[in-house]
Amino acid sequence: MPQSDDKVLDHAKLFQEPEYAAMLEKKRLDYECGHPDDMVREIADWTKTWDYREQNLARTALTVNPAKACQPLGAVFAAAGYRGSMSFVHGSQGCVAYYRSHLSRHFKEPVSAVSSSMTEDAAVFGGLNNLVDGLANTHALYAPEMIAVSTTCMAEVIGDDLNSFIQQARGKAAIPDEMPVPHAHTPAFVGSHVDGYDNMQKGILEHFWESAERNAGDGLNIVPGFDGFAVGNIRELRRMLGLMGVEATILSDVSDVYDTPSDGEFRMYAGGTTKDEVKAALDARATLSLQEYCSRKTLDYCSSKGQETRALHYPLGVAGTDELLMTVAEFTGKPIPESLRLERGRLVDAMADSQSWLHGKTYAIYGDPDFVYAMARFVMETGGEPRHCLATNGSKAWGKKMRSLLDGSPFGQQCQVWPGKDLWAMRSLLVTEPVDLLIGNSHGKYLERDTGTPLLRLNFPIFDRHHHHRFPLWGYQGALNALVQILDKIFDRLDAETGTLGETDTSFDLTR
Amino acid sequence: MRETLDARVRDVLVEPACAQNVAKAPDERAKGCTKALVPGAAAGGCAFDGAKIALQPIVDAAHLVHGPLACEGNGWDNRGAASSGSKLYRTGFTTDLSELDVVMGHGERKLYRAIREVIETHAPPAVFVYTTCVPALVGDDVAAVCQAAAERYATPVIPVEAPGFVGSKNLGNKLAGETLLKHVIGTVEPEEPGLTDVNIVGEFNLSGELWQVKPLLDRLGIRILGAITGDARYRQVAMAHRARVTMLVCSKALVSLARKLEERWDIPWFEGSFYGIEDTSNALRTLCGMLVERGAPGDLVERAEVLIAYEEARTWAALEPYRPRVAGKRVLLYTGGHKTWSVVAALQELGMEVVGTSVRKSTESDKARIKEIMGDDTHMFENMAPKDMYRALKAAEADVLMSGGRSRFVALKSRTPWVDVNQEKHEAYAGYVGMVELVRAIDRAVNNPMWADVRAPAPWDEGFQPRSVSADPLHVVGSDPSDFEDC
Repeated sequence: MPQSDDKVLDHAKLFQEPEYAAMLEKKRLDYECGHPDDMVREIADWTKTWDYREQNLARTALTVNPAKACQPLGAVFAAAGYRGSMSFVHGSQGCVAYYRSHLSRHFKEPVSAVSSSMTEDAAVFGGLNNLVDGLANTHALYAPEMIAVSTTCMAEVIGDDLNSFIQQARGKAAIPDEMPVPHAHTPAFVGSHVDGYDNMQKGILEHFWESAERNAGDGLNIVPGFDGFAVGNIRELRRMLGLMGVEATILSDVSDVYDTPSDGEFRMYAGGTTKDEVKAALDARATLSLQEYCSRKTLDYCSSKGQETRALHYPLGVAGTDELLMTVAEFTGKPIPESLRLERGRLVDAMADSQSWLHGKTYAIYGDPDFVYAMARFVMETGGEPRHCLATNGSKAWGKKMRSLLDGSPFGQQCQVWPGKDLWAMRSLLVTEPVDLLIGNSHGKYLERDTGTPLLRLNFPIFDRHHHHRFPLWGYQGALNALVQILDKIFDRLDAETGTLGETDTSFDLTR
Repeated sequence: MRETLDARVRDVLVEPACAQNVAKAPDERAKGCTKALVPGAAAGGCAFDGAKIALQPIVDAAHLVHGPLACEGNGWDNRGAASSGSKLYRTGFTTDLSELDVVMGHGERKLYRAIREVIETHAPPAVFVYTTCVPALVGDDVAAVCQAAAERYATPVIPVEAPGFVGSKNLGNKLAGETLLKHVIGTVEPEEPGLTDVNIVGEFNLSGELWQVKPLLDRLGIRILGAITGDARYRQVAMAHRARVTMLVCSKALVSLARKLEERWDIPWFEGSFYGIEDTSNALRTLCGMLVERGAPGDLVERAEVLIAYEEARTWAALEPYRPRVAGKRVLLYTGGHKTWSVVAALQELGMEVVGTSVRKSTESDKARIKEIMGDDTHMFENMAPKDMYRALKAAEADVLMSGGRSRFVALKSRTPWVDVNQEKHEAYAGYVGMVELVRAIDRAVNNPMWADVRAPAPWDEGFQPRSVSADPLHVVGSDPSDFEDC
């Protein structure tokens, strides 16, 4: 065996050693009884045809490689943005482990969340005892300032009533009277993580606002929405607001808790929106959502309290950022400062500098509905042509909205919109109607390998590349960041294509 | 060494075959075409740079720069001259002179050793040794070292004596031409000289432009015997004296070289261009006509006409889809004369309006031709100072500027789309296919949606007025039009 204690090989190399290769090959021949190679190749080729694509897109029951997550993940994310808040997911503990590992693998940070660890007993007799004990233990073990309760499917299927359960827990003195325990029902079999985010946000606001009196003021609340780039984006948002002299309340700010320093101290809680800020937010003149599909119920609720509301679609790109700044200026009466105008000018300057490399490049984009909208819009601003826009959690209404965006530009005419489709559908699209670049997340790496389409990881989850979420996509700076990533991909690709020594390297140029 | 260098510089600056020079009054001519540099004003590259870029495309040679690190550090692989074979020209060789070398006078010894090491490790067919300012000032006898090394190691070692301080980049181009004449051309005899062997002089295969033309020559059975210096091998340059005809592409800089090829070896030459459809056709026509005069088979001319007719038809068909996208666009053309009129003709044919064109480096017949195409000469200008160009573009007198890299930022700062048509571009516009590429680039430039963002004020400014950044935003740029001259 090639493995020895003198030189221990990593698995990436170990199984390529001839001994292992031979062993695996023998195993395949002796035990797997697989199909002949040429048949496998034939079928693989067939899966890249229009014939297969049509059958693939006609699927109604089976979803393959969905580009979405479930409601409680969004709820945990939303709750994490409030100071000292512990997510308590009422239901089975396995689900919660998924949310924690998902967020942790993406943000490279410890992610705290607990469950009521419901088991078979609880499923039969109801989860009340689990919830009461769970809240008491959470308080005792982790000393949170707030416990945000959401649900897994298990609790939803048996119909546990969170409101009543939490009242009963208080009646049993499981938690101190002053401990806020907002809640939201977040069944995974309805909607996706963006809806869970929305429900939890609404639940938290309801908790603090429902019995309070609104004294209309002139403040501004901002709901950022579920966002894998939240760390970079929210900091960039705060920087831009600072330049404008605007003091807005960001409802759920995860930028600190998902980016804690290594200084010897473990922070289970860090930063986030305070209770006082949430309470005061009721008096704001307006609430602005930066992602419409993450906040429809939340905005309805804000509106019902007498606030003005507005929803954007992920402020990425020139027009996307213009919209953000102008909306903030409109709600606050603060002018947009010269420094931001300069940043805008620098962004379009960069776009002009690289125009010849970007013009006419074709893209497939997938992700959450607001992200796909913003990315397609930005790509078109650079002269790129989106060809496939796909959101597994996009509705038909989203599809229409995308269509009108695309129809508004000559660069969007050839784009097809695919609401509700999954990444296996994307595979068929990429092989039958290829594009230059694929924009998505880590799950796209198999599509990249399979179809040869270079992948840009620009949305959640990103597991196999590190730290991109620390840089913004929002604002002019964020657009610049996205632009550079796109260009790097184009140039890296070109260098690879012209880089084979002595074969393709006539155009392996120093200057591009 | 200084005397001979001075003499050589004087010699190349009074080129009798240069129309511009000949047209001057005798006392003006006596001064030569040197242009005094203005201390403190922006200026282009030095003579070393000019010599290096002219010779660097000889791809299998080792190019060894004798001087402190920066000369090669900055000049290393800085142009996209493409090679179909050896990549040795892309490797940066330098003697990297240090303070001790200068003080102790170790330059010559170090150079000798460097030549030895290059030959031992790379076995190149030849080594070009470039003299830079420091060894020239110190007084290193580079020519003697080269000669000694060449004898010792049985490899041509060619001194390129164009230290930066002798003058401009253009002068460096000329000195490079002189170097080839003195040391390289005529040193190798072709095994099978042919009646359709030609020299292409002043074509550097930037972005592979030569390869857009070479297939046409291949189909006519014309061989590029001497390539000076696009995609050239050392032996090719050395055999240039056996070509039947020289085509001088786009180059006032190498006109002396073409003239001396004729004087020494009776090779007739003409100036032609591969930019634009008609120019390409004319170049092929002239080339074939001259070859036939010198004894090539007479049907070459007819075959050329068939090829031209076929290629022209094919090119126009390929251009047609762009017509609706570029028709009506107003173009300001700012480039060397050689590529002017036939490009103008093609753009007009596609419905574009040429609102101005420079006639720099254009011959009188070129100018007459432009005048004929454009109706009158009101839109022809010799040079345009950056501030005038900015003013014209700012006043939206053009939809797109086509120029060299140096005026790029004038275009971008006046929010005007820009197409790079000079040497640092990344796309090849030569020959028939090149014209299609050029129109595609224009389409891409003028129709990119980013321009809307660049031109529009920030949308939060309803009554936005362009801010008056001092009256002249280019006040920091010298107003000498020659600042923008290319090569």
